[in-house]
Amino acid sequence: MATVSLVRTNSNYSNMKKAIQDSLDLIDFRFGEKTEKVAIKPNMCYYWDYSTGMTTDPKFVAAVVGIIRERLSQDVQISIVESDASAMKCRYAFKILGYEKMVKEKNVSLVNLTLDRKENVEVKVDNRSYGFEIPDTIRNSDLLLNIPKIKYMTGVKISCALKNIFGCNPYPKKFRYHPDLDRVIVALNKVMKSDLCIVDGIVVSGQYPTKLGLIMASKDPVAIDSMAAEIAGINPKHVRHVMLAQMEGIGKMACKNVGENLEYFTERFPRKNAKQEARETILSFGAAMLEKLHLIFSVI
Amino acid sequence: MERVRVSIIGLGGIGKVHLHNALDLDNANLVAVADKSKKSRFLAAKLGVKKQYSDYGELLQDPEIDCVLICLPTFLHAEAAIEAVKQGKHVFVEKPLARNVEEGKRILAESSKNSVKTMIGYPLHFEPGFRGLKSQIDSGRFGDVVISCATNVSSGPFSHRASNSIPQPVPSWWLNKELAGGGALMDLGSHMINLLCWYFGSEIDSVDAVLGHRYNLDFEDYGLARIRFRTGTLGVVNFGWFSQTAELKVEILGTIDNKCVRKKSEGSFPTKIIQILKGGVVNKSSGLYNELKYFIDCIRYDLDPYPSVQQGLRDLEIISRAYRNQVQKKESSFGNCESSENK
Repeated sequence: MATVSLVRTNSNYSNMKKAIQDSLDLIDFRFGEKTEKVAIKPNMCYYWDYSTGMTTDPKFVAAVVGIIRERLSQDVQISIVESDASAMKCRYAFKILGYEKMVKEKNVSLVNLTLDRKENVEVKVDNRSYGFEIPDTIRNSDLLLNIPKIKYMTGVKISCALKNIFGCNPYPKKFRYHPDLDRVIVALNKVMKSDLCIVDGIVVSGQYPTKLGLIMASKDPVAIDSMAAEIAGINPKHVRHVMLAQMEGIGKMACKNVGENLEYFTERFPRKNAKQEARETILSFGAAMLEKLHLIFSVI
Repeated sequence: MERVRVSIIGLGGIGKVHLHNALDLDNANLVAVADKSKKSRFLAAKLGVKKQYSDYGELLQDPEIDCVLICLPTFLHAEAAIEAVKQGKHVFVEKPLARNVEEGKRILAESSKNSVKTMIGYPLHFEPGFRGLKSQIDSGRFGDVVISCATNVSSGPFSHRASNSIPQPVPSWWLNKELAGGGALMDLGSHMINLLCWYFGSEIDSVDAVLGHRYNLDFEDYGLARIRFRTGTLGVVNFGWFSQTAELKVEILGTIDNKCVRKKSEGSFPTKIIQILKGGVVNKSSGLYNELKYFIDCIRYDLDPYPSVQQGLRDLEIISRAYRNQVQKKESSFGNCESSENK
């Protein structure tokens, strides 16, 4: 059974760093002595900054970088990775979200995986084959450190550690994967396995952004996602990509939590209720229909 | 009187709004569009626009066109406006007039040589709330206006986080200082500067600005500008691309009375539904619709449009002064996060 640590903190850098250290100690995580290259995958989602709860706070990543250097070595080569997406370009996101500024001070590199050298791989999920290009920065790293957010996402219900790896796929037109997103998420996690997940749940994007002050850590991304779903008020068994990831052997949903009580966070997470979910579904359907109506009315 | 033969150059976001509005106007015939995008030209053709050009230079040569609406990215305003004026077309340019004062002066010089009508797109002049405020200020309803705060904040060129739609890419020129001419001050602040000058006059004693760089770009993404009008009013313009909730308002603080006027949001789903039920995609009470109608009437009845190129140039001069007179602030470095907030 996987262990997931839950720690309470706030957005003050020192407190945050201490809490991340505690979260690692609680799961008894030790960096491998031979680790020379670390790839860190924060969650960058469009150009929405950390205050929206949609993207990882660069301060949080800076704290993790500090811990790696202190616990492992000052010489460890650290890359912060992300890839271009349909509407987001890394060259702007790195700057706008504050990562360019951070890496300059922390002496780490920023890598746009879309521009990285890659190797083709084939993977099967649910008896379907998928082909991806795996960036060299990920392939050659000794440790893939996943720093996701917790947020609701239409189509897959919840976005956390497993979904964050979707952003390691260097192909920029990611929208094409959306009809088959659950399987694609799992396929990518099979070929790019997170060695450690530390969730930046300091601000979360639920029904509205909220300062939840949560740090969650585990070596198992499936366990992390399972617990994230619970915190967000979703039965993890109803989250298809989490179930599928377990079936494909990526991790285990059954987990024990150490540290803070789970209830502290489940009570405070800004959950969507059924009415709001129904409203949002209608609104997004309505918005799509409006686009069509727009054209029809114009032609008439 | 015959309808004015209108054309549109540039069918991006604002160009498409003008496309629908121009097709609906009873004083205009939208006869041509120019855009590099095949998809946009196809849309125009489908809506009944007879001529579609991929090169706006060809459109400007068309003798069957009386006026052009320039809805291009800011860095193309001067080139297109000057060429259009030289071809004897009446010109409507989206704000800001140009990237800088020099380009603005070139447009003004060329339009002065040719007897054509020119107007800048500042739709707030045509919003009933802000028009009403102008009459009330002029009538003395507030006494002397000592302070006026104008606020325009939104998510700027970025998609709204909660708009129930897929985020859209930001055209690269928006994030290029050379091409956009500036940041949020140019984009959003220009509307409010123009409005305050309409209310309190063009004579200005002093201008300065405090600019912020939340998004680490080469230009400001939020800030405030302070304008001391000769009339004695102190104008404060707040602008920013940081907010997921758009706010556009003018506050008047006078010796007799105070008032705050807000622009109603047009983008919400229920508003759009009501709009469609009322009469299709065109919102006939919007500032954008009415400014276009007004400009076409100015051509038909030989009136001088307002705001004109002169006002657009004046706004660029104020913005340029604001950039020059920045209240300097030492930027906090990332390393300061050790002593950051919420201890």
